[in-house]
Amino acid sequence: MKLQLEKFGKTLISRELGSEAFKAFQPTLREFSKDEVLEIDFSGVLTLSPSWADEFLSPLLEQLGDKLVLLSSDNLSVHATLRILGEANKRQFAIK
Amino acid sequence: MEEKLFTIGQAAEYLGVSLNTLRRWDENGKLTAIKKDGGTHRYYREKDLEIFASDLMKFASEWIEDGVEFPGTFYCATSSIFNARLIKMEYALMQKSGFEKLYSLIILITGEIGDNSFAHNLGKWPDTAGIFFGYDLEKRIIVLADRGLGILETLRQVRPQLPSHVAAVKAAFTEFISGRAPEKRGNGLKLVREVVTDQPIDLFYTSGDAEVRMKGPDKAFRVMRGQRLVRGCLAKIEF
Repeated sequence: MKLQLEKFGKTLISRELGSEAFKAFQPTLREFSKDEVLEIDFSGVLTLSPSWADEFLSPLLEQLGDKLVLLSSDNLSVHATLRILGEANKRQFAIK
Repeated sequence: MEEKLFTIGQAAEYLGVSLNTLRRWDENGKLTAIKKDGGTHRYYREKDLEIFASDLMKFASEWIEDGVEFPGTFYCATSSIFNARLIKMEYALMQKSGFEKLYSLIILITGEIGDNSFAHNLGKWPDTAGIFFGYDLEKRIIVLADRGLGILETLRQVRPQLPSHVAAVKAAFTEFISGRAPEKRGNGLKLVREVVTDQPIDLFYTSGDAEVRMKGPDKAFRVMRGQRLVRGCLAKIEF
């Protein structure tokens, strides 16, 4: 399954909104089969901040582990955010 | 061509302040009005209003130091207002030549600094809630400020032994530490430091008497003790 992250907005900045997005995504995630891979597509996102991503991507990584795959992006804020989250969580995201 | 004059009502709307504030500023010389042919009505030149509104650092520092009123156009009472204004700035910056890619990092650091003010002071604002958020993309400057608890008081909630503003600001920019532990937080200012180090972006940040100045091509992260004691936090981003 592929998730277009821009469905949650093009400017993903605050912790508050990241946390809301994660809660809103839970019903979809419950229908998800255990073997399925979730691909996160950043296209269309203008800015991703570590605060927003830490509330959305970090708990997803905890829930899904290797089944969470991030599609590569040329957006500088996406790169910077994924780097710091990898360091903070001491666990890197799988990127395709 | 005759210069465009604003009435006091139009000037109040332009600056986002009340008529009484403009009258007071006229009387104390902060922003002097024009009176036509000895009349009593106040008028303002558009250029004078532009110049007055452009001194972002002055407004922000006077507000956090002495509570001096500033044009309401720079005030974000809630994080939703801040987010909306940040998105407006993002669209303008994306269209600026040379910023087609860099814009997202400038928005990231502005967003992190502004969001920090709201997240760490929620329900705890000592007096005025909200932040100052002003920018001038022509001059390539962004200023953010809050009259919140400041970094030291925030981090002492989880690390009571922190000895000084300098130590607290250093921890905030270099360690994964949060004033809202055990909530997992505290990566924002670390990334701000990394982005400013790597990119053509300068940062001045102060809280209490601690100051961070990262400027020029060989900038390094250092926290110094400054001359002033600043309430809350104040940040200037130049690019």
